[in-house]
Amino acid sequence: MCRIGRNRPRKSSAGGNAGVMARQPGNGVNAEIKTRSTLSLLAAVFGVLTLVFIADLLGKPAKPASIPLVGTNFLDRATVRRSYADLIKAKEDLSDFDCYVCHEKGKAPHLRFDTNQSLIIPKEHANIVMHHGTHERNNNCFNCHNETNLEQLQTKDKRELKLSNSTPLCGSCHGPTYRDWEAGVHGRTSGYWDHTQGEMDRKDCVNCHNPHSPKFPGRKPAPGPHPLRETPEPASPTEIQH
Amino acid sequence: MSVPTNPTGSGMNRRSFLRTSAVVTTGLAALAASLKPLMEMKDFPTAERFMQKYYKELTAAEMENVLARITNEVEKEYGLRPHVRDYKPKNGVEFVYCLNLTRCIGCRKCVHACVAENNQSRNPEIQYIRVLKMPHGSLNLEEAQHNYDPEQVPEKGFFYMPVQCQQCKNPPCVKVCPVHATWQETDGITVIDYDWCIGCRYCEAACPYWARRFNWTRPEIPKERLNPEMSYLGNRPRRQGVMEKCHFCIQRTRQGKYPACLEVCPTGARKFGNVLDPNSEVAYILSTKRVFIQLKEEVGTSPRFFYYFDV
Repeated sequence: MCRIGRNRPRKSSAGGNAGVMARQPGNGVNAEIKTRSTLSLLAAVFGVLTLVFIADLLGKPAKPASIPLVGTNFLDRATVRRSYADLIKAKEDLSDFDCYVCHEKGKAPHLRFDTNQSLIIPKEHANIVMHHGTHERNNNCFNCHNETNLEQLQTKDKRELKLSNSTPLCGSCHGPTYRDWEAGVHGRTSGYWDHTQGEMDRKDCVNCHNPHSPKFPGRKPAPGPHPLRETPEPASPTEIQH
Repeated sequence: MSVPTNPTGSGMNRRSFLRTSAVVTTGLAALAASLKPLMEMKDFPTAERFMQKYYKELTAAEMENVLARITNEVEKEYGLRPHVRDYKPKNGVEFVYCLNLTRCIGCRKCVHACVAENNQSRNPEIQYIRVLKMPHGSLNLEEAQHNYDPEQVPEKGFFYMPVQCQQCKNPPCVKVCPVHATWQETDGITVIDYDWCIGCRYCEAACPYWARRFNWTRPEIPKERLNPEMSYLGNRPRRQGVMEKCHFCIQRTRQGKYPACLEVCPTGARKFGNVLDPNSEVAYILSTKRVFIQLKEEVGTSPRFFYYFDV
């Protein structure tokens, strides 16, 4: 105990330790002052730290930058287009499909072509963009519409189909795609993968493709991953290229 | 030899005692003050949650209690009573995902439908799906872009490859978990027990697909965007400090429905189903389509996520 007491002078008494004094003359007083100042300093530092922590002087960790919520249009499960069958189901205005308000019944409308053999779309049908296939061989209304009954569709092998039943018409040319569609592999599906628990809902061709210009339309992408840093990183060389 | 100055002989006297205790007291005060943030901690584990058993050891009755606890916790926090269930895998079902790279236009709708379905944190953002943009004729994942933001997708000369958890048959993330908080279920979904995860992030490091996400902070979900249809291993709200990842929308798919990312895809590029059923879409794709890759198949993880092309 005494040895420890000697080696740790701060445990020694204020009056000095005779043994220590005897061996290390003059050290007792210095050690005492050193101990006292060290301890006061420590106490002061701890006191300041307490204040700092209580008053949050160091500040809280920065809140992450606020990220705007993604627009609900990107969560929408609706198809790109609405088919004629959808319009019938929703009991909407079908007057656009009333061919014989303007056309004469039983008389095939006359098609006009320009010098490049491409169809001239009459101004009454100006909303129609004809671009079915890249080769433009399809610019003839009566490849798909029945010329004598405009409210019917017709396949190449002269089967007549209702306007609301266009998918087999598409299938009459696009066989492999139609086969995929029947298997649920081409196009959108929703509902149940497990047919014992519910129905699988398959969309029609015209829910996604405009029959006159079937290429799937491009769109604005949803916002990408939010950058973690405030200042965006410089674009990488590949990004600049385009 | 020495002269003790107090009766106990400890070398301590009144003055040194007071001095030492002053230092100790201020020291403890500083320590206590530095722990102040703990007082602000919101989801301090309750005894019930702390004592909860391992998922696989829970009896049905115990699971009911756990689900009731989660329901109450969610209701307390979001003011909305959720429907929390624990859906078990079905026999004769093995899920497989197929993604048609010819059809994907990179619109990222799947990313956000997933976030909405699975109650991921909106701030900071946690997203299970990352859509990579790569030039035609290449498949360099390191150089792929994921911050693209053009006026219109698809862009000419590029293709898009959404990457999410591949639900590997040989999952490296499961092997490294030191507490068995993540495992592969019989229907092929690798799941995480968020109450068992210790947040060591070994699985994040082990995953070759960067599919796992860590909750660095307390997840923020706006109340009006919370999906109340929840499952224990799936989309119930997570805590700070746990891992999460795509689980093939376990709360939907184990009830026979399609995952959210599939239903929102505008082009129908995503196909999902039971590969053990020969009439399923995925069986049709795997047997008739050009299934081009299992991503990074050379690392031997054997994903249940297939990328394919139309001819």
